[in-house]
Amino acid sequence: MAALAEQYDRFKKMGAEVVTVSTDTQFVHLAWQRDEKLLEKVKYPMGADPTGRISRMFGVYDEQTGLALRGTFIISPDGTLLNSEVNYYNLGRNIDELMRKFKANLYLSKHSDEGCPAKWKDEGDKTLKPSADLVGKVYEALQ
Amino acid sequence: MSEEICCGLKVGQKVPDFEMDTFEPSKGDFGKFSLKKAKKAGKWTILFFYPADFTFV
Repeated sequence: MAALAEQYDRFKKMGAEVVTVSTDTQFVHLAWQRDEKLLEKVKYPMGADPTGRISRMFGVYDEQTGLALRGTFIISPDGTLLNSEVNYYNLGRNIDELMRKFKANLYLSKHSDEGCPAKWKDEGDKTLKPSADLVGKVYEALQ
Repeated sequence: MSEEICCGLKVGQKVPDFEMDTFEPSKGDFGKFSLKKAKKAGKWTILFFYPADFTFV
């Protein structure tokens, strides 16, 4: 959450609204954000999902505990879910990887006939254009 | 509960519009997040779920 706070302005400048969500209320969010020094730089809105309605919608609600698993979801401006990643309770997320995926989605939204390969990191890196010529020649295309 | 807000959206699916209450540290006040409004503003939305406040971050 602190790592996300560090990159929040970048996400925002690139056109994303980042919202964190837990099953706590907004009142508890306020108390926690003001209390915890790690969160003093947090600027993102902290969403309250006390009924678990939103968490269930994204399949991260744990009925046993009433808590949400560590799920990250990227939704395009037309409302399509483009990324879904869920970690169990005990594994934190890499915000650089979230940034990479967001950048890739931005790029692909403007270049719909291309694909970003596994090692794609930023605009300017090699992409692939699926075609008959590419079949069996991905290695060569990536050189 | 309606069907579409049931059990786990998959990538490629349209996310139904929803709203939720927020605390907004930048304003020091409560607010609301609305997917419909974000879409209207041409914004991407990144949702970042976590288990609970006052636990390790």
